[in-house]
Amino acid sequence: MVRIKSRHLLCEINVTDRNCLLLLDDRAVLAAVKDTVLRMHGDYGAAPLCFLCVFLVKYLNAHTGIVFLRFPKNCYKLLWSALPFITSIESRGHKISCFFNCLHVGGTIRTCQKFLIRYNTQQLHRMLPKCKNEEEKQEIRQAILNCSLLRGKKEAFEEASESEEDEEE
Amino acid sequence: MLYTVLSPYLFTDETTILPKGGDPSTNRPKRSHHQPGWVRGHQKDGGDYSKEMPKYITAGGFARARAAEVKAMLKAVTKRPASCHVFETLPKHMRRRAMSHNTKRLPRRLRLMAMKLKKKEQTRSKSRKARRRHGNLLLEFNRRQRKNIWLETHIWHAKRFHMVKKWGYCLGDRPTYKCYRPCYRAMSSHCLLQDLSYYCCIELQGEEDRLLTGLSQLTSKEAGPTFAAALCLSGRRQGSVVVYRAGQYPSQPLGPVTFLWRPRTQGSTHRQLWIWAHPTLKQVLSSINLRSVCDCSEAVVPVVVPEPSPAEVTPTVDSEPKPKTTPGAKRKRSSKDQSGPPAKKILGDGTRSPTTPVTWKSNVTCLICCLMCCSDLTMEIIRYRLIGPQSHTVITEAFEAATSCDVRFMKNKESPSSLWWPEHCKDENKMHLHQQQADVFHLLKGIFSTAELPPGTILGLTVDDPRLTLPTKKVKALPCSVSGPKAVSSSTHLVDEEKRRELVLSGVSEHCCQSFLWDRSVRDNVIDNKISEQELNRMRSEVLVPGSRLPVPPQGRVPVLLVHQPGKQVGHEMSSWGAGWDLLLPKGWGMAFWVPLVYRGVRIGGLNMSLKHSQNKSAPHFPHDYPDCPAGVHFQEEQEAELLDKFKRRPPAKRTNYIKHGCLAPFCCPWQQLAEEWEHITREGGEEREGAGRSRTTTEADTVMEGRWRPLVRMNRKSLRLLSGWCKPTTSKGQRACRLRLPPPSLDLSAVKSFLTSHRMTLVWVRLSLLSGGKPELHGIVCVPTSEDLKQLKSSKKAAAPSLPSDKTVEKETELSSASDPNIPITSSSPLDLVLGLWPDPLPSVASHCSRLTLGWVTQGDFSLSAGCGEALGFVSVPGLLNTLQNQPMEHRGTVLLRNPTSLQYRFFEVNLDPLI
Repeated sequence: MVRIKSRHLLCEINVTDRNCLLLLDDRAVLAAVKDTVLRMHGDYGAAPLCFLCVFLVKYLNAHTGIVFLRFPKNCYKLLWSALPFITSIESRGHKISCFFNCLHVGGTIRTCQKFLIRYNTQQLHRMLPKCKNEEEKQEIRQAILNCSLLRGKKEAFEEASESEEDEEE
Repeated sequence: MLYTVLSPYLFTDETTILPKGGDPSTNRPKRSHHQPGWVRGHQKDGGDYSKEMPKYITAGGFARARAAEVKAMLKAVTKRPASCHVFETLPKHMRRRAMSHNTKRLPRRLRLMAMKLKKKEQTRSKSRKARRRHGNLLLEFNRRQRKNIWLETHIWHAKRFHMVKKWGYCLGDRPTYKCYRPCYRAMSSHCLLQDLSYYCCIELQGEEDRLLTGLSQLTSKEAGPTFAAALCLSGRRQGSVVVYRAGQYPSQPLGPVTFLWRPRTQGSTHRQLWIWAHPTLKQVLSSINLRSVCDCSEAVVPVVVPEPSPAEVTPTVDSEPKPKTTPGAKRKRSSKDQSGPPAKKILGDGTRSPTTPVTWKSNVTCLICCLMCCSDLTMEIIRYRLIGPQSHTVITEAFEAATSCDVRFMKNKESPSSLWWPEHCKDENKMHLHQQQADVFHLLKGIFSTAELPPGTILGLTVDDPRLTLPTKKVKALPCSVSGPKAVSSSTHLVDEEKRRELVLSGVSEHCCQSFLWDRSVRDNVIDNKISEQELNRMRSEVLVPGSRLPVPPQGRVPVLLVHQPGKQVGHEMSSWGAGWDLLLPKGWGMAFWVPLVYRGVRIGGLNMSLKHSQNKSAPHFPHDYPDCPAGVHFQEEQEAELLDKFKRRPPAKRTNYIKHGCLAPFCCPWQQLAEEWEHITREGGEEREGAGRSRTTTEADTVMEGRWRPLVRMNRKSLRLLSGWCKPTTSKGQRACRLRLPPPSLDLSAVKSFLTSHRMTLVWVRLSLLSGGKPELHGIVCVPTSEDLKQLKSSKKAAAPSLPSDKTVEKETELSSASDPNIPITSSSPLDLVLGLWPDPLPSVASHCSRLTLGWVTQGDFSLSAGCGEALGFVSVPGLLNTLQNQPMEHRGTVLLRNPTSLQYRFFEVNLDPLI
């Protein structure tokens, strides 16, 4: 299809103190990435980032530290190579020391989302046997159930909305 | 790896958790639950940064956060794309041709969803053939007319017109083909046909004097002829009046109605009256009428007559009192309020389902056998309007006066026939009357133009079934030249000429106005015995010589009533333009008369054309030009909503900025505010001269303000005549000569003051004709010219130099005021009400908003094809108008400025005020 092609990087922000994650916001991440790219590759590297419609933080979850970065497709490798050099993010006056861990590179957000679903469930499953006490185990089990149970619920929801539409007609 | 980072938390002992315990950790994931599933960029969850945060999280919290994220992602992934086609979720290489047609071409996992979608589309299961089968089609039609009544010509119109749903009817608005000018040409030189069956007919029956006393409450002699006007009362003319709420003469008008009296029968004071009213008027009018009639009967007879509650509604007027077991539909209809749609029954024969009657009848009987009856004949009688000078030609060509039945045949068969016409043929008197009517009808042929006849003439007639004389091809009815085909001897010719002159001068004689259409039994007989189209075609096919004329079957006679409609009555140009005939028929015969008329080469007009007709005629059109009537108010509200909606549909940058154009109210006209402001202005002017009497007026004004007040629009004839005398007449020579004969009424202070005391808050309906170029539009602003403007006009007489409203200053003024003003409304009212490009709701002073004082607004404005220049109809405030007239020099008296809401250019207009409205 005819469109501006881009690459979506699914990254995980790893911090030493997890509470600091909650301080993050997309503008801080954006600024940090920009600074680093400028530092590593100079003006040549920073130029593609000027197209704000292409370079974006599409998603940021402050609880899990998952972030979707969108880069222009023709130079995403160059920008990607700068990511390991991010050591800290300046946000709300705090300096959060962290590093980026790139989990997936996808052509669309959709593939990233799909990967994330797989990855997260996998994580939860891996956590389950390592639990120390019964209570924890129970909670994680519940969380896993929550992930998968959704499908049935969602369909039910869809059907309900459809029937509403019918009535309107 | 993630795990290495997380491990310290995972294996922290539960007991080491902070005193706050699991509380925040349980809270936070919950919050993330509430978030929308797929949030772009910045997360709005950052509310609790300032709060104290736990040092550790538990494995549970960690897991919950992941789970929530997975949930959100799943939701985003499984969401259908914006377009509703299922196969768009597929990658391109898996798409196949005609996937939407055949679901089996989809992969199995998507089939279910696709099937669901497809089911939604396939609500219409029957095949087209089955749907078009006659019975099914009829059922469908009946279903569709449940909400809005269809006229008998609905199907004909629906094929050719843009239909609108208005006033509970489905009406044709304008044709789908381009015919604006041809329709105008038809109106001015040939004939335009309209179906006005949606007008409601209310029948009143009773003693003449009682009816008149009852009806006199609705009108007043001051406003012109009433129901009791002698010519109308005799049944020779149709009259028209503006009715008011009973006993409330100057204050609460309802709207205009036309009425027909049935001519007197010998030795009986029992009269019958038809009042034709607009459907928006009917609801209130019929109830008011009922009440007034009831009141009068109470006054005469001391017996207590209960209010005409629906309970005592009985179905018919017919002589024998019918038992209560009348048709269920009627009972139901009468028992509930008449506002709803009529009870429809699916007719057995089903040729014309729209003719289901709406008959509720209520009669108030007093003990002394005087019967007053008011019944609603809506949709019982069909009304077609033919407009144009040749409409009489069309009528005379399309119809033929009924031929009498074969008398010998009748004599052989002595038993009374079930049909009405053979019965009538036996009666000598009736046949004589019919012969006279037929003679008059033949005389019509020789008339040059419809406008020659005295306005409102009525002619009763019985005609043959017009389908029998239907031409094979559409022909244009042409006037027969009087001299040409007349090969008869000159003496008969002269007699004809004499009679014709008689007809033109005095109209139809009284007994010829009698028609059997008034007779309910005859009407029912005619309706019941109509030959169906199918039968007629069968008869045609059985004729020996194909294409020859059919003999008239005995049931093929229809009583009709022809009512002349007056044309333009005001002004001196194009007088009596747009005159025509109204054709009243019994119901059920609608299409039978419509098609023959159409085959005579008439144009068909819709609602749009009737508006243009009245505009060219310079007559007020009912719901549009009656802002004091409830229907008019309702119409204005509707129009405002519609225009505002249309305005809002444009993006703000593409809208007209009415603030910059200095137009306060582009969609509605705040008449009341205008009247109040002008009253204020004139009072201030008056105070300078005399201080006395001020307190009185203010208190009066206050009492007026308290009540629900609407501006007065109508005034009595005398003051209207006086006012129109004060306005300078138009510059046309004829009018000036006419004016010279009368002594010019002096416009001195005392006269004006005395006039103003009675008409302080009155609006008056005026015609505005353009002096130079330009085209007035709806809601244009009528303004007072300054003396400089008039000087400019005088210096460059015809140079088309109307004063530019010094647009810079206007803009600056408005900008300034808009900069300062909106602060108040924004803070007071919610900013949601604010529409860009329009003034916020509490309008500032309307009269003195622009550089020139506002007098009023235009309610209808267009390029008038009959006048050849722009013409506008609108209302102006009386005090304002008088104020203007006083300050103007004699030669420019009655000159005003008019500006369209979307323009800054003023144009000079001349005010015409006609004493005959």
